Amino acid sequence: MSDLKAQIIEQLNLQEITPENIGNDQTLFSKDGLGLDSIDALELIVLLQQHYNIRIANPEEGPKIFHSVRSMAEYITANQTAKA
Amino acid sequence: MAIFILGTGCISPQETAQGGPLLAAPREYEQVRLATVDPDYKQWIDVKQIRRMSRVVKMGVGAANLSLEAAGITAPDAIITGTAYGCLDDTGVFLTKMVHQQEEMLTPTAFIQSTHNTVGGQIALLLGCNGYNNTFVHRGFSFENALLDAIMILKEGSAQHILAGGLDEITNYSHQLLSRFGIYKKTPVKTMELLNSPDTGTIAGEGAAFFTLGTTRGPGTVAMLSGVSTLYKPLWEGEVIGHIMKFLEDNNYTPADIDLIVTGRNGDIDQDEIYEEVAEALFPEHAEACFKHLCGEYPTAAGFGVWMANAIIAEQKVPEAAAFFGRAPKKIKNILIYNHHQGTHHSLVLLTAC
Repeated sequence: MSDLKAQIIEQLNLQEITPENIGNDQTLFSKDGLGLDSIDALELIVLLQQHYNIRIANPEEGPKIFHSVRSMAEYITANQTAKA
Repeated sequence: MAIFILGTGCISPQETAQGGPLLAAPREYEQVRLATVDPDYKQWIDVKQIRRMSRVVKMGVGAANLSLEAAGITAPDAIITGTAYGCLDDTGVFLTKMVHQQEEMLTPTAFIQSTHNTVGGQIALLLGCNGYNNTFVHRGFSFENALLDAIMILKEGSAQHILAGGLDEITNYSHQLLSRFGIYKKTPVKTMELLNSPDTGTIAGEGAAFFTLGTTRGPGTVAMLSGVSTLYKPLWEGEVIGHIMKFLEDNNYTPADIDLIVTGRNGDIDQDEIYEEVAEALFPEHAEACFKHLCGEYPTAAGFGVWMANAIIAEQKVPEAAAFFGRAPKKIKNILIYNHHQGTHHSLVLLTAC
């Protein structure tokens, strides 16, 4: 999950934030979490495609997948396993 | 109807964002490409928003805020920007990714931030300004046309306060491309010696200058924007001289009324020739100040010149670093800024102390 956090920081150019600052279960899009917005959501979709070759087929799954770093990691693991 | 300059803001290769006396400690460079001296942008922009902004967006937002702070205005009625190159850096990022990734998986941020009106949009978003917002992309007239639009809107009475300005950035890509056209000098030159350079080519520059304009004077007002005019591709120097005469007449001035001329000399012996001819024909005894050795050449550099002229009126003194010829009178009331970009885009801006 640390690698994923580093990728998120790089993709979103999150300044003054390190992987250690992001909790595994911290919400990504709420104000009391990381406070990301809709443009960030698009960036995260691109991140999944670029780094993990995963395309989100159903956009309605987005809020669940991008809830936290842990939910993203679980989605990546499940989909990579499915592909394997 | 008089148009007053209520406040100005400038971010440039000089320390213009810090306030204090004009060019008290000018930065001298020995290079062919000048970069802005950036203030701490976090004083105006939230960390979460700044991460998506390229340099030109930040310098635009910074200069706009400096101008509004000087004017004591938090919400202008309109925002008008002029930029020839727009957000070049993000355009480069977007196009590079498009090539490298075979037009797939393109990130949205660089695309969104690559348009010319991004700066005006970002300023409006940060200020919460839902009013008129326009960006002029007219190469060497971008800044001047932003001013003209602001003047027309103010004279129509549809706005009381307008934030208008010009800005351009230079990137590695653009510098490389423009260098191929032979625009810049081949070897580094000391900027304070640039204007006496015996050869062709100039130095590249960048920056942002914003002006808060209104129809009534504010507490920080020192000058009125008495006139703006542009002349495209004059056939010969006589056309420029005639245009300046007509411009002065239209504003009820003669060359004798002008206390100081501020010219856009850039150290290119070919491009500076017209300034010599204009000075000889119309202003042979006038004091002359210059600015492109301080900010470099870029299509909206006249913004720096107007900003400097406003500061000269405020201080009633031409700083040594800007003085080129003669000595300005003790009372500096009327300043004519004459600039041209690449010999094709000639512009005049007249400031009057008030």
